[in-house]
Amino acid sequence: MRWSGWLIAVAVVASLCWLFPLFHIVPLERAAKEKAAATFDPKAFAEKFWGEQLLTSLDKAVKAEVLLPAIQSNAAEAKRKFSRSVGVSESYTYFISGKGRVMAVSDDEVSLAATEGATNVEISLQVGLLFSNAVRDGTGLLSVNDYPNSQDFNAISEALNRIIEERVLPKLRKTAKVGAMISFVGCAEVNDEFTDLKPLKVIPLKTEAK
Amino acid sequence: MKPISKETFTRFQSLLALVVMVVALSFASEQFLTVPNLRNILLQISVNLCLSIGMTLIILTGGINLSVGAILGLSGAVAAGLLKNGLALKFAGVQMQFTPLGAIFAGICVGLALGWFNGMGITRFKLPPFVATLGMLSIGRGLTMLWTNGFPVTALGSKFGFIGAGFWLGVPTAIWISAALVALFYFISIHTTLGRYIYAVGGSEKAAAFARLNVNNIKVWVYTLGGGLAAVAGLILTARLDAADPKAGLGYELDSIAAVVIGGTSLSGGRGSILGTVLGCLIIGVLNNGLVLMEVSPFWQQVIKGFVILAAVAMDKLGSKTE
Repeated sequence: MRWSGWLIAVAVVASLCWLFPLFHIVPLERAAKEKAAATFDPKAFAEKFWGEQLLTSLDKAVKAEVLLPAIQSNAAEAKRKFSRSVGVSESYTYFISGKGRVMAVSDDEVSLAATEGATNVEISLQVGLLFSNAVRDGTGLLSVNDYPNSQDFNAISEALNRIIEERVLPKLRKTAKVGAMISFVGCAEVNDEFTDLKPLKVIPLKTEAK
Repeated sequence: MKPISKETFTRFQSLLALVVMVVALSFASEQFLTVPNLRNILLQISVNLCLSIGMTLIILTGGINLSVGAILGLSGAVAAGLLKNGLALKFAGVQMQFTPLGAIFAGICVGLALGWFNGMGITRFKLPPFVATLGMLSIGRGLTMLWTNGFPVTALGSKFGFIGAGFWLGVPTAIWISAALVALFYFISIHTTLGRYIYAVGGSEKAAAFARLNVNNIKVWVYTLGGGLAAVAGLILTARLDAADPKAGLGYELDSIAAVVIGGTSLSGGRGSILGTVLGCLIIGVLNNGLVLMEVSPFWQQVIKGFVILAAVAMDKLGSKTE
C-alpha cells in the first residue's frame, strides 16, 4: 500500500511535469543563436528607421511660419494642435520645418530668425552633443507601446542621435555662416516652456544652405 | 448601556485605528475613497502581506526574521535570471531554458532553502534569530548582486508578468494570490496541529518541550515557510515591475515587522493572528497612501510611520502588563 502510494505520487508529478514543463533542454549552440536573434540591435534598427521611414516622412513636419506664430499667440493651443507626447510624460515634441537667416553660430547651436521680418532668434538648431528624445518621439512614427522593454526604446533614441551627430551636424557646422539662409527639418522637445520655446531648440534631421 | 471593557478595546484596537483612518482620509481627500485608489492600496500591500504572513508565524514562535527583504530580492532575481537567460550546463553542452512556471518554481525553492537555513542556524547551532537572520540578510544581498552582476534583469514577458500585473475577474492577480495565502495560512494557524504547535512554542518553549513537542522541527518549518512566502512576495514584485532589481526588498523587513506588530501580534510570541496582520498591512498601506494623497513630504512620512510603530509596540507592552 505504501509503495503504491509513492508510485501514484511519482506518476502524478511526472504527468504534471509533462503537461506543464518547468524547462526545456537545448544545445548550447542553438541557445546562443536564439539569444542573438532575439536580442534587439538598436543601431541596426535606427539605421533602417532613418533610411526607410524618417527621411521619407520629412514633408509631414509643421511649417515654422505656422507653428512659431501659434506658439507666440497661445502656447497651450499650439501644444494641443501640433505637439506629440509619449505616455503620461509632461514634456512634448514638435516636428518642424522651415528656413531662416543665421543670426549667430556657436559650438552648440546655430541661431536662426525664421519668420518674415524677424530680428530676434526664433530657432536654435542644436549642433553639440545630443541627448534628447526629440527625434524618436517628435515624428510620431514610433510608439512606446511597441517596445515593452523601455531600455530598448531609450537605446533607439541614443542611436538616432548618434546618426545625426555623424551625418547631419558636420555639414551644418560647415555651411552655417552668419547671414546665410538655411532650410531645415527637425524635432524639438519642450521640457520647460520658459526656456525651451524662446528660442525653440530644434535637433536637425536635414539642413540645406541656400 | 454596558461600557466597552479594556479587553474588548485591546482586541479591536487595530480595526478601530483602520476605521478612524479611513473615515478621516475620506474627508481629507476626495480621491481616497475611489475604486481605483482602493484597488491600488490592495495592490501595494499584496507584497507586504505575503512577507507579513510568514513574519507572523515566526514572531508567534517568539522569533524574528530580518532577512525577508533579502530573500525576496534573491528569489525574484533567480526567477528572472533563469527565465531570461536560462542555465548553461557547459559540462553537458546544453542549456536549461526555463518556462515561466519553472522560473516561479525555482524562485520559491530558493526562498524555502534560505528559510530552511535560517531555521537550521537557529535550532541546530543555537544562534539567536536576530543574529542568524541578520547574517542571512547579508548573504542574500551578496548572492543577489553576484547573480545579477548588480544590474536589473528586465523584459520578462507577459506570461510571467501575469502574477504581478495581470487581472482575473477585474481584480489584480497579486491581490488574489495574497488573499489565497491569507486564507490558507489562517486555516493552518487555527485549524491544524502545526498551527496549534506554533502558538504553544511561542507561549512557552519550555512547556512545549515538556509536552514532548519537537520545538526545533516546528521552528525549522516556520522559518522555511517564511522563506517561501518571502519568495512569493519577490515573484509578485518582480512580475509587477517586469524587472528584478538587485536592490528589491531593501528595508521591507521593517514594514513587515511593523504590520505584524500593529496587527496585535506580540513580539514575545504566543499571541496574535493572521487576520490581525492583514489589518496591520491595511493600516500601513492606508497610511502610506493617505500621506501621499495629502502631499506629505516623504521624509515626514518615515517619521510618522516610525511613531505609529512605536505606538503599536507601546500598546502591546501596556496590554501585556495589564494581563
